[in-house]
Amino acid sequence: MAKVAVFSLASDYGCQVQITNADDKLLEVLGQFDLAYWQLASSGHVPEEYDVAVIEGAVTTDEHVELLKRVRATAGTVIVIGACAVTGGIPALATSGVLEDRFDVVYGEGSALAFGGRISPLPVDAIIDVDYRVPGCPIEPAEFVAVLQRALMAVSDHIPREPMCAACKIEENVCFYESGTVCMGLITRTGCGAKCVSLGRPCTGCRGIAADANLVAARAIAVSHGIAAEKFDSALSLYNSAKGVVR
Amino acid sequence: MSTLTVEHVARIEGHGTISVEVEGGVVGEIRMDIIEPTRLFESMIVGRRFDEAPLITSRICGICSPNHAVTSLKAVEAAMGIEVSERTKMLRRLLVHGSYLQNHATHLYILAAPDYVGQPNVLPLAETHPEVFHRALAIKKLGNELTTMVGGRPVHPIAAAVGGFTAEPSAHDLETFAARLHAVANDVVETVALFSTFDIPTFQTQGEMLALHDDGDYAIYDGEICALDAGWCRPVSEYRQFVDESVVGHSNAKHSTVGGRTFMVGSLPRVNLSWDRLTPAARIVASKAGFRAVSKNTFYNNLCQAIELVDAAERCAILCETLLEDTGSSAPVKYTIRAGEGTAATEAPRGTLYHSVTIGEDGVLTAGDVITPTAQNLANLEADMRAFAPTVVHLPEEEFILRVEQLVRAYDPCLSCSVH
Repeated sequence: MAKVAVFSLASDYGCQVQITNADDKLLEVLGQFDLAYWQLASSGHVPEEYDVAVIEGAVTTDEHVELLKRVRATAGTVIVIGACAVTGGIPALATSGVLEDRFDVVYGEGSALAFGGRISPLPVDAIIDVDYRVPGCPIEPAEFVAVLQRALMAVSDHIPREPMCAACKIEENVCFYESGTVCMGLITRTGCGAKCVSLGRPCTGCRGIAADANLVAARAIAVSHGIAAEKFDSALSLYNSAKGVVR
Repeated sequence: MSTLTVEHVARIEGHGTISVEVEGGVVGEIRMDIIEPTRLFESMIVGRRFDEAPLITSRICGICSPNHAVTSLKAVEAAMGIEVSERTKMLRRLLVHGSYLQNHATHLYILAAPDYVGQPNVLPLAETHPEVFHRALAIKKLGNELTTMVGGRPVHPIAAAVGGFTAEPSAHDLETFAARLHAVANDVVETVALFSTFDIPTFQTQGEMLALHDDGDYAIYDGEICALDAGWCRPVSEYRQFVDESVVGHSNAKHSTVGGRTFMVGSLPRVNLSWDRLTPAARIVASKAGFRAVSKNTFYNNLCQAIELVDAAERCAILCETLLEDTGSSAPVKYTIRAGEGTAATEAPRGTLYHSVTIGEDGVLTAGDVITPTAQNLANLEADMRAFAPTVVHLPEEEFILRVEQLVRAYDPCLSCSVH
């Protein structure tokens, strides 16, 4: 039986909470693997061997980099879950400006020195190869269970490629651009069922930029609806600020 | 001197390491290192628009995200002088209290209970105590579905916006949930009964206790901050004058004191300070479980979480029924963007949560401050460990460590929150 270990980097644990929220669905796959390590939900140490690693959170320290390299060397399959791990997510907002200055804002003048080993936030695939991705902030429990199922059966990943607008049409939502409100649905990877827009909020882009998205066209659409290009860029940066690849 | 170390303490949110020096049965230095990486949220909201503050800061915590969102919304509204409708306040209360159901059930059954039944995690309970396992899932699920009904999903609410709600639950949903909340009454009462059977060490914290307090209500959304021992109550807006935060070497989370003393926030301080505002049913089960306010036994925090489950289930049912009769609107009120500074506090499941924001004329944030419950509790938690460890140091090493971990889990610490 495949051994699964769950790891967390810099995150709010919301995606792990969503795993515990998978309740009934999780029971469907529960008999198919052995939960070898999960600090949030169980006592015990990281085992020497495990087959599947589930990783939540953004890479923000040298220690995270080392951990990821060890995980990749051990696990046959790596699944990253949540915006933080997939795109750098909200933690990557700390990428702009000077990182040290941010420590001074939070901890006081000169405090940055105490935080050696801290790096600018990155998604997991900036450090190691990733086999499966579950995007979103937070993840959808059902999507996680489906991806875990694929991983256990060794069927390849099939992360959605298209932007979200089609889902919005299906939900019969009125496009936010009609009222001059910036919405990231134009370029954001589909798969959430346009949840935010259906509840009256513009898409913030938590599922990351879709492979088939046309950023240039989206930006032009925003401008043609009277939205300053800077406003579009600022909205885009919320979940997509991470830059640079270290490996 | 040998040092016992528990790296990455299990069944808590976030990474923390406990180290205890022991020699010849005597406890020396004892510490909890908070090694969770800081995410620098207070710097990240600077330069973002006011309406993004609740969205960003709710990502401080995936467990109590509704509390962060609601507290941040209140801070932004205080800064810009926005008055929301009574219906909006009711829905926010429902969101916060719904999060208690989910949160306390998760902590009590999944994180804390395995200690008391001698298991590494909750899963063996499915076989040994199926009724307990299914009760745990039922309460947690109801809490999740309740926050989903109001906020759009269990983690990181969508519909709660500056000035009001962008979507509302249907009358049918409110009706259904009122009935389901009444129906869960037995499960939550059983939870109190179960936790009252666990062996609770005799122990008294030396710290102060702080919580929101409101004359008319069990305070979670509004009220003043009151101190149990010192006997004072002060407006939330003065929080920086009474909560002293300082940076400590071994922790990425700051430590807090009040009037030079460590203090505790959370279920036990709330129940102590608002005992007579609990619903009658909650007071009755608490009394049956042998709990008497005022108690300063830290371990009773778990029992008080269970008592709050009873209170929250009843209160949420009443809120659903009141919302059904109420004809007001929760649609976002009209407002003008203006400069200002705003502060707000709510009671998150783990204790008082403060948010403050400074907004410029253009609606862009120039400063922000967040003090989370766990950041307030950490100094008291360490003080408790120092006082408690010598009383159990005679036990075999494994049992000794388990007891110290049990004390930590009584606090239900949220370390990712504490190093936001």
